[in-house]
Amino acid sequence: MAASGAARRWLLWGAVAALALLAPPFCGTYELYLANLALVNVVLAVGLNLLTGNAGQISLCHSSFMAIGAYTTTLLAQKSGLSFWLALPAGGIVAMAFGCLLALPAMRLSGFYLALATLGFLEITQIMIEEFPNVTGGIRGMIAPPPMLFGWKLSSDLALYYAVMPIVAALVVLARNIQRSPIGRAFDAIRNSTLAAQTLGISPARTKLVAFAIAALYAGLAGGLAAAIVGFIDPVEYGTSASLRHVTFIVVGGIGSLAGSIVGAVVLTVLPELLRGVHEYSDFVYAALLLAFLILLPKGLVGLWPMMLRPWRREGRAGDAAMGAEGRLRP
Amino acid sequence: MSPEIALQLLFSGLSVGSIYALVALALVIPFKASGVLNFGQGEMVTLGAYIALVLSMTTPLPYYAVVPLTLVIAGAVGVVFERLFIRPLVKAPEFTIVIGTFALGLMVKFAIRLYWQDNVYSLPVPFSTEPWVFGGVRLNPVFVWIIVSVLVLLVALALFFQKSRVGKAMRAVSQNQEAARLMGISVERVFSSTWALGTAIGAFAGILFAPVTGIHPEMGSLILKAFVAAVIGGFNSLPGAVVGGLMLGVIETFSGAIISSTLKNVVAFAVLILVLLVRPYGLFGSAGTRRA
Repeated sequence: MAASGAARRWLLWGAVAALALLAPPFCGTYELYLANLALVNVVLAVGLNLLTGNAGQISLCHSSFMAIGAYTTTLLAQKSGLSFWLALPAGGIVAMAFGCLLALPAMRLSGFYLALATLGFLEITQIMIEEFPNVTGGIRGMIAPPPMLFGWKLSSDLALYYAVMPIVAALVVLARNIQRSPIGRAFDAIRNSTLAAQTLGISPARTKLVAFAIAALYAGLAGGLAAAIVGFIDPVEYGTSASLRHVTFIVVGGIGSLAGSIVGAVVLTVLPELLRGVHEYSDFVYAALLLAFLILLPKGLVGLWPMMLRPWRREGRAGDAAMGAEGRLRP
Repeated sequence: MSPEIALQLLFSGLSVGSIYALVALALVIPFKASGVLNFGQGEMVTLGAYIALVLSMTTPLPYYAVVPLTLVIAGAVGVVFERLFIRPLVKAPEFTIVIGTFALGLMVKFAIRLYWQDNVYSLPVPFSTEPWVFGGVRLNPVFVWIIVSVLVLLVALALFFQKSRVGKAMRAVSQNQEAARLMGISVERVFSSTWALGTAIGAFAGILFAPVTGIHPEMGSLILKAFVAAVIGGFNSLPGAVVGGLMLGVIETFSGAIISSTLKNVVAFAVLILVLLVRPYGLFGSAGTRRA
């Protein structure tokens, strides 16, 4: 019985992988475009969940790092003729540098004060984008040309999907490994108790710095990818409501859970499309969903998973009891 | 810079600053009592302006009757919000409170936008807006009205916290909830009343700000400046919030005139991050307060 949990998990991930690999050729352009957006949102949610769910830091400026990544990647690819696939990590690294910069005040703050500092950072980046229109295109935005791969122009959504998907999968696996590495355990430690973490020799300041850097890197990469997928950079997409949308991904999916980040990002990318008949209500529904989940279902959608499995699990418990206490070792 | 221009700038800085001060007060009063910082307070400002707009459009009431009526309605809305959405979250981690109040504010904003779209409405003031000229300094009566109203409100608030039972109960709860409970104060009722007070003050700011910016769904972005004002003031001091608001208004106006009007907005957030870095408990807060 002990192996069935792991087996079930492998089966689930296998099914997700198979679907992600095989389904796209049978999808329409619009579905593919949505799938690409969902991939970008997964990267955003995974990065933010490491920072907020694991390290316990509030960030209201995730969209700013996305903006930094998007502009850096696109400007590098356009102005210096650098290949998109080199400009993309460069964008991520620049966003990461800004993440470290923000971590300087953030290291000393927490809770409401941290939320305010990140909100201030968001406003500053937003103003900077608008105030330097000859670099950023100002509020009019900027066109991002489709990236090239081995001499092919990736202008179709299907080609983009197969180029972007492995990157996203790699980033998800990386996040999984970060969670299980000493860094990830340090994140959990400072979230649970800064004081206890310190007595174990973990520096909260350095851990927060790393957390902000990783989250900013993920957001920066997502920004570069989003620019390529949408083909356009719109500064409105990087404001407060965008940041709140990223927070909604992880709250609805499940705070601190990698699967939750993926579920939340995918569900909330598709949901607005289902609401298209009542499009003008979609912003309202987003905010209402966020509040409802916080009050009624703080563990998010993945919190429902154990509940749904309960009928089977009870059967499992009886089996475990017959085997002795061994079954209890796996939580 | 000639003294006339300096005076002119000081005056407009103080009038914008007194709006910031009002909204900062609306943030600090519930925060002191319940430890909940309302990130949706900006939308309470917007809501107040729209309530006043609806009242003056649908009823024949004069401006001076619309204002107090708006405050009462806004206060009632504040009580309802507190009861429905905030009380289930009071004991939750700060992240939940930040995001929850933010979401509440967004819901209000989007609801308003659904009904009124992005049109800009105006709420006419019942006096001439012809500027008064005093030896080269032009005084806009709207700004005079703002400053005078804020001063009157501040005196009323000071009296309220010193003399009235409810005001004293709020101070008691903000000092020590357990002790207040032992003295027979209903802490829950105080939470409700601080929300009523906060929402009403926010609504008042909305009414006063309406002639300056017009009434539109994005009015609430003003909250960012109020946050900066409250951070300067130290978040747990009412006089601090007022002084912080006035300081921010003056700093912004002068830096707008001296450096450039476009970077004026950056100044506020640069001040915010600087204060959080150097003196996180603000100019008027004490180092012992909860900040880390």
